[in-house]
Amino acid sequence: MAAVHGDVHGHEHDDHHPSGIMRWVKTTNHKDIGTMYLWFSFTMFMVGGFLAMGIRAELYQPGIQILQPELFNQFTTLHGLIMVFGAIMPAFVGFANWQVPMMIGAPDMAFARMNNWSFWLLPVAATLLVGSFFVPGGAAAGGWTFYPPLSTQGGLGVDLMIFSVHILGASSIMGSINIITTILNMRAPGMTMMKMPMFVWTWLITAYLLVLVMPVLAGVVTMLLTDRHFGTSFFNAAGGGDPVLFQHIFWFFGHPEVYIMILPAFGIVSEIIPTFSRKPLFGYSSMVYATASIAILSCIVWAHHMFTAGMPTVGQLFFMYATMLIAVPTGVKVFNWTATMWRGSMTFETPMLFAIGFIFLFVIGGFSGVICAIVPIDIQVQDTYYVIAHFHYVLVSGALFALFAGVYYWIPKWTGHMYSETLGKWHFWLSMFFFNATFFVQHFLGLAGMPRRIPDYNLQFADFNMISSLGAFGFGLTQLLFLYLVIDCIRNGEKAPQSPWDGATTLEWTHLPSPAPYHSFETPPIVK
Amino acid sequence: MEAWLQNKAEEVNKITEKQSSVSILQIAKAVMAAFMGIRTKSDLENDAATLKPVHVVIGGIIGGLVFVICVLLLVQLVVRN
Repeated sequence: MAAVHGDVHGHEHDDHHPSGIMRWVKTTNHKDIGTMYLWFSFTMFMVGGFLAMGIRAELYQPGIQILQPELFNQFTTLHGLIMVFGAIMPAFVGFANWQVPMMIGAPDMAFARMNNWSFWLLPVAATLLVGSFFVPGGAAAGGWTFYPPLSTQGGLGVDLMIFSVHILGASSIMGSINIITTILNMRAPGMTMMKMPMFVWTWLITAYLLVLVMPVLAGVVTMLLTDRHFGTSFFNAAGGGDPVLFQHIFWFFGHPEVYIMILPAFGIVSEIIPTFSRKPLFGYSSMVYATASIAILSCIVWAHHMFTAGMPTVGQLFFMYATMLIAVPTGVKVFNWTATMWRGSMTFETPMLFAIGFIFLFVIGGFSGVICAIVPIDIQVQDTYYVIAHFHYVLVSGALFALFAGVYYWIPKWTGHMYSETLGKWHFWLSMFFFNATFFVQHFLGLAGMPRRIPDYNLQFADFNMISSLGAFGFGLTQLLFLYLVIDCIRNGEKAPQSPWDGATTLEWTHLPSPAPYHSFETPPIVK
Repeated sequence: MEAWLQNKAEEVNKITEKQSSVSILQIAKAVMAAFMGIRTKSDLENDAATLKPVHVVIGGIIGGLVFVICVLLLVQLVVRN
């Protein structure tokens, strides 16, 4: 095995990879591709963030000020689509590209050329999505869930969105197959499944979920496309179809999608908490089992998104009970993280701050999720700002905070430079403050009945909306600080040692220098 | 490396021997533990040494169906009253 790797990626090639733009276009190196994924997702995060700023600027006070309702709807729709498919998901795939091979002692991803292809599909899809703003009729405006009949009635923007989702789905499926194959076949000698770092485990399970549900999404958008242009009536009641069918198929994809965005976040946090507590992860095996359990349960709860769409009581109760039961394995995870910190020699560098912030705020998001799962309450709060607050606590302070934690944790290994701890701490505390200013008050707005996806509102909601908008502007500006911090780290950061973190035990810290060499683990390490 | 491979082959042989004598109860216990998300380390190591992935996958599918049926029965009970 070592000989084969030596032939393909011999030392003599180490310093002779292509340079300039072609290095990035033609690269099959997991680190280059990981870097591209991360920069791409940050760019899309800025685009999605710009749309969010537009939404919050319009909602700063009652009445229509900046965005006409049609454009407002396009902003909310594309904000959701871009953040989910363009920012959060590719960012985690970027982490997987960088970290999975290094953490299991593999030289690269299993299918290196397919890896290049799955990345380069993304800019094409993003161009279609963002470009749809400039076609006649503008972008899709039916919400990120593109329910019919709105999505069967929209203009060219909806078609561009459908093609974009097809391409993004193909990219995700290829990425997942690559990750599964890499993890199952390319682990270093001695790296048994139950010795794999939690991040690798969570990505393995996430990749299976992706392979399971992305074809469902591709199928449902194709049905939408044929309804729009080829005379079918899957979702058209006048032609014998049923618009609720769309909701069932979409959410069969959509709910596991939530876990696709949060399980790798669990993995990142499960690496960081033990490192900065200087203790092994409490209940490692329980964590693995809990992750598998969450993945299985995530596939049988989809209809809790559609309690008000018309459903027999038996169905409502089934999905309510099943949803609430997810709190059990999730609770196992939260208790395990807490137990890992218990009596540990903790220090609070920026990755740890973001990881603890993640636990604190994700638990709030989790609890509001259990509240939404209760049918009588959901009937009151569905389509209000309560739901917006709930899923932003899960996806921003959950997935995004974990991504920030991961960047701070691994950036010394990626760049060979330390980031500025002072700026990192500023980034954390400002993000924490502004995030809560933006979204905590939205719980109150939702409980008071303010509907989502509407550009105007009653005077009674004015104060909380103003606080929320100010918080959002602050949160947006804070992320520019993060961009500055990363560039400053790459250009001027102090040289990082092999392992700047005392408690880090995974292979990239114990076996590889910082920055990690272009080709690592050509000869696999032997794990004991 | 060769020594490691030889050891590995012996390990695999031992595991294969153990795997042929796995009971349904053990698979059920492993799957139930996975549903709860809690497992002791000794039980887990025993599972890792004796269970094949195919056991766990089939056990998981059956476990999932049993779980769905149990929740449905609970719902029927609640609705009947």
